[in-house]
Amino acid sequence: MAAQTLAEAAVLEGYHAQAFPYFGAERRGAPVKAFARIDKKKIGIKSQIYKPDMLVVLDEMLPDIEPIAEGLKAGGKAVINTPLAPEEYDLGISVECGTVDATTIAFEKLKAPIVNTSILGAIAKVQDLVSLDAIVQAVRDKFGDKLGARAAALNADAARTAYERTRVGRCKGEKPLAQRAQWLPAWEQMPQGGALPVATMGDMVVGPGSSWQSLTGTWRTQSPHYSKEKCIRCLRCWWSCPEGTIKRQADDYMKFDYRYCKGCGICAEICPADSIAMERGVKEW
Amino acid sequence: MTSIDVSKLTIKDVPNKDYFLWGHGACPGCGVAIAVKNIMKILGPETIAYVPASCLVVFGAQYPTSSFDVPYFFTAFENTGAVATGIRAALRRKGKKAVVVGLAGDGGTFDIGLQALSGAADRNEDILYVCLDNEAYMNTGIQMSGATPFGAWTTTSPAGKVIKGKRRFKKDIDHIVAAHEVPYLATLSISHWNDFLRKVEKAKRIEGFRFLHVFTPCVPGWRSEAAKTMEIARLAVETGMWTLLEAEQGESTLTYKPKRMESVTEYLKLQGRFAHMTPEDINTLQKWLCMKWWVHYKDQVEAPPCEIYRAEKPMAHDGDPLHGV
Amino acid sequence: MVMKVISANQAVAWGVRLSKVEVIPAFPITPQTTIVELISEFISDGEFDAEFIPGESEHSVMSIAVGASAGGVRTFTASASQGLALMHEMLYAAPQNRLPVVLVNVNRSLGAGAGIWLEHNDSMPERESGWMQVYVEDNQEALDMVIQAYRIAEDHRVMLPMMVCLDGFVLSHTVERVDIPDQDMVDRFLPKFKPLNVLSTDEPKMWNPIVPPDYAMEMRYQLDWAMDSSRQVIREVDLAFEEKFGRGYGGLFESYRLEDAEFALICLGTATTTARAVVDELRAQGKKAGLIKLRFMRPFPENELVEAVSHLKALGVFDRSISVNRFGPVFTEVRSALHDSKISLTDHIGGLGGRDLTIEEMRDIFSFIEDSAAGGTERKVFWHGLRGVQL
Repeated sequence: MAAQTLAEAAVLEGYHAQAFPYFGAERRGAPVKAFARIDKKKIGIKSQIYKPDMLVVLDEMLPDIEPIAEGLKAGGKAVINTPLAPEEYDLGISVECGTVDATTIAFEKLKAPIVNTSILGAIAKVQDLVSLDAIVQAVRDKFGDKLGARAAALNADAARTAYERTRVGRCKGEKPLAQRAQWLPAWEQMPQGGALPVATMGDMVVGPGSSWQSLTGTWRTQSPHYSKEKCIRCLRCWWSCPEGTIKRQADDYMKFDYRYCKGCGICAEICPADSIAMERGVKEW
Repeated sequence: MTSIDVSKLTIKDVPNKDYFLWGHGACPGCGVAIAVKNIMKILGPETIAYVPASCLVVFGAQYPTSSFDVPYFFTAFENTGAVATGIRAALRRKGKKAVVVGLAGDGGTFDIGLQALSGAADRNEDILYVCLDNEAYMNTGIQMSGATPFGAWTTTSPAGKVIKGKRRFKKDIDHIVAAHEVPYLATLSISHWNDFLRKVEKAKRIEGFRFLHVFTPCVPGWRSEAAKTMEIARLAVETGMWTLLEAEQGESTLTYKPKRMESVTEYLKLQGRFAHMTPEDINTLQKWLCMKWWVHYKDQVEAPPCEIYRAEKPMAHDGDPLHGV
Repeated sequence: MVMKVISANQAVAWGVRLSKVEVIPAFPITPQTTIVELISEFISDGEFDAEFIPGESEHSVMSIAVGASAGGVRTFTASASQGLALMHEMLYAAPQNRLPVVLVNVNRSLGAGAGIWLEHNDSMPERESGWMQVYVEDNQEALDMVIQAYRIAEDHRVMLPMMVCLDGFVLSHTVERVDIPDQDMVDRFLPKFKPLNVLSTDEPKMWNPIVPPDYAMEMRYQLDWAMDSSRQVIREVDLAFEEKFGRGYGGLFESYRLEDAEFALICLGTATTTARAVVDELRAQGKKAGLIKLRFMRPFPENELVEAVSHLKALGVFDRSISVNRFGPVFTEVRSALHDSKISLTDHIGGLGGRDLTIEEMRDIFSFIEDSAAGGTERKVFWHGLRGVQL
C-alpha cells in the first residue's frame, strides 16, 4: 500500500509510476515485499526489482532474517523504521539513510502499528523526486475514498510528523547479509510428483513439520511477560495461543518460546490470574 | 480404542504433542490457527489431512515446508468431501486405518464446497469433515460467503451509503448436514475448550460421516483486535450468535447453555465489521436472537433484552415463535 | 480367452475388470453409462473385487479418483463431453502430482448446438493438461488399451494419467467381436501398482502444497520430461502386448500402405476404418494412396510422423472437431510438425455433432487430397457434408 501511494504521489508530480506487491495471499504481519518504479517516461519493465535505488524497510528486524539490502545500489538510499539514528543502524550496506520511529508515530496518531503512511513521510525527506506535499495529497486521496475524512487527516498528519522526525545520515554497513536456509534444486534433483517426506535438502529441513525454521517471533511489536509466581496453571493460555508457542511443562506451568510469538496478546487477555502482561517491543524473558 | 468417558474430559486432557507446528504464516490472533492446532493435537499422528483452498492452505504449508506434521494433501477449493472420500477408499482397500480429516473453510463448505459435502454425507463416507468458519472468503481478501452473518461488512457486502452490509442471514449449514442423517454433527467454539475437546474426541471414535462446525474469529476480516479473538468467540456463544450443540443420527442436544443470553451489542461492538450497523439492524438481529432463545432455550436460560421486540408488536400467532421474523 | 460380441463400452468394462482396478468413482453421462453399469454388475455379482463409488458430479468423481490414486490404489473413471468439461479443473491435479489414473472418454459433442452424438471437441482441449491421450479405432482396441494404459501410466519413467478416447455410439454402442483375454495372462502382463508417492502415516509426506515461483518451473520441466519419456514406454508396451496377446497397434501411430504412397490421410478414431477401405479401393484403381492411423495425440509423435510422411506429395488431416476459426486441432499439430516440409497439407473436417461419416464422404476426402498432390488446389480447409457454400 505504501508503494502504491508513493506511485500515486509520483504521478501527481508529473511522473510515470508503477507499483505492485510480491503477489501473495492476504496476510497481516508477515514479511512482504512491494516494488515501485518512477520514471519520466512510460515504464517498460514489469519484473520485480533486484537493484533498487531506494530500499524502504518497514520492520527494522528484517535484515536479521532476510538479505533485504542485497542489490541496493552503492549510491542508493534507504529509509528505515527504527528509533535508532542512521549512524547506529546496521543495514549491511552503508548508504545514505533516513531513520524514523514510524511505529511510535503510528501508535500516537492511529492507535495501531500500521506504519505505511508514516514511512511515506520519511521517504519524502530523503529524496527530491516526490515532495511531501504530493505524498500528503496522495495519502488524503487514498483515505478519502475508503475510510473517510478523519482517517485521511490522521494519516496525513502521521506522514508530516514522520517527515519532521526523520533523521538523515549514513547507516552502518558492517553486518553480513542474512543467509537464509535455502534449497533451490535443479529439476533432476527435485523429488518427483510434488511430494516431500521429512528430509534435509540443501541446508534446510523440508516436508511435514518443517515450519519451525520460520522464526515468526520477528513479526511482533509487543511481547508477553509471564510471571510464573502468579500462574494458577489453568492451561488457558496454552490452549489459546495460535502459534502453539506457549509450552506446557510437566508441572503444568508454562514456558514461552519467544522465537515464534507474534505478539497477538491473546494469552494476556485470557489469563484469569493476571500472570501475563504485554510489553511493547521485541523482548524475551 | 480405549474406553474413556469422553463427556468428562477437560482442558488438562488435551494431548501435549503438537501436530500443527509453530512457524506458520497465520495472522497474529488467528482463530483458525487456534482451532487447527488443538484439533491436530487431539487427533494425533494417525491422521491424514486434506486441506482445500483457504487461508489454512496458504499459511499451513508452502513448498517445501509445512506446519502439518502428518500426511497432507491439497488440490482445489470445492472438493473436500470428494478427495477425502477417495483417500478413505484407498485406505479401505489397503486395510489401513487412519483418521481422514478435511479441514475446510466456510467458503469451501457452505458455498462452492456444498455439493461435495452433501455427496460425502449422503454416502456416509467415513471421514471427519471440519468446517473452520470465519464467516467470509478470507483468503481472497474478505468477500462475503453464505456464512457471513446479517449486517456484516465484507468487500462484496460493503457498508455503503445505500446498502449497509449483508442483508441476508447466515446459511444454516448445520440443519443442511443434519438432514443427511449423519452419524455425528457438532458445533464448536475455540472459546469453550472442554466442549471442543469432548466433541473432537467423540467424533474421532465414531465411524461414518462426522461434521464439526467450528467458530473461528478472523482479525483482519472482522476488523477486531488480535488479542480479543477468544473473547469474541466466547461472546458469540453467550449472545446466542453461535449455539453449541451436537446431533447424532438427527437427534440434537444443546451441549452448553449460557446462564443468560447477553445483549448482542456486547458481541457486535468488538468488531469493526459491524461498526456501521443502524439501531434498526441491531434490533433485527436481536429479534432473530430472541426467536432463537424462544426456540432453543426458553425457561432454561435467562432471556436476552427482547423488550424492544416485545413492545413493537405482539406475535402474530400465539405460541408460534417462527412467525413474523 | 473368450470371444464375445460386445460394444466398446462393455469391452472397456472388461478391460477394467481384467486390470484389477480397485476404486472406480463415476457419474453417468450418455454415451458412457454402459461402461459403469457393467462394472457395477461385475462388482455386485462378486465377480470383480473393487469399490464403485457413485460420486455426485464429475468434478467430485475426478476428485475422488485423485484422492484414491494418492492413497495408492489403481483407479479408473469414465466420462464424456459435459462431464469431462466439468472435470476439467481436477484433470489438472493428476499429471503434475504424477497420479496414473486411467479415464475413458466416450467422445461426444461439448457445448451448444449439440446433443449426445460423436464429436472430438470434448477431449481435444484436454490435450493441454498433461494427460496422455490415445484414440482407439475399434472395440478390441478399446479393451486392449485399458490394460496397456495402466502398464504405460504406472511405469516409473512415466507416472502420468492416460485418457483413452473412443467414439461415442459408433463404438460405445456398436457391438463387434471382441476377444476377452484370460485373467492370468493379464496378470502376467500387468504388474502391481507401485506408486511414486502415497498418502500414508507410515511415511508422512507433504503433498502438493502451494508451490511458490521458485519451484514451479522445475516441476513443469519434470512433467514435460515424463511425457517425453512416455514415447519409448508406449512403444515397448505395444510390442510386449503383441508378443503376449498377438495384437499390435503400431505404438504412437500405425501406417497403412504408406511406404510408396504419393498422398495420404491422417485419421484418428473410427474414421480410420472407413479410410482404410477407401485406400484399398484407390489402390485397386492403381492410385498410390496411403493412411496414417494417428493413435496418440499426447505424446504427439512429431519426429516419427515427419519421417514417415517425408516422401509424400500431399497429406490430408481428418478432424472431427474444430478450434473455432483455427482449423481442426489435429491439423494444427500436424502442420506445426511439418513446418519445414514441402508437402501440400489440407484439413478435412467432418462428422461434427454426430453427422454420419459415410464412405462417399471419405472418397471425397481422398479425392481432394489427390488433387492437392497434383498441385490443383488453393484451398486448405474442407468441411465435408456441409450444406451451403464454403467461403
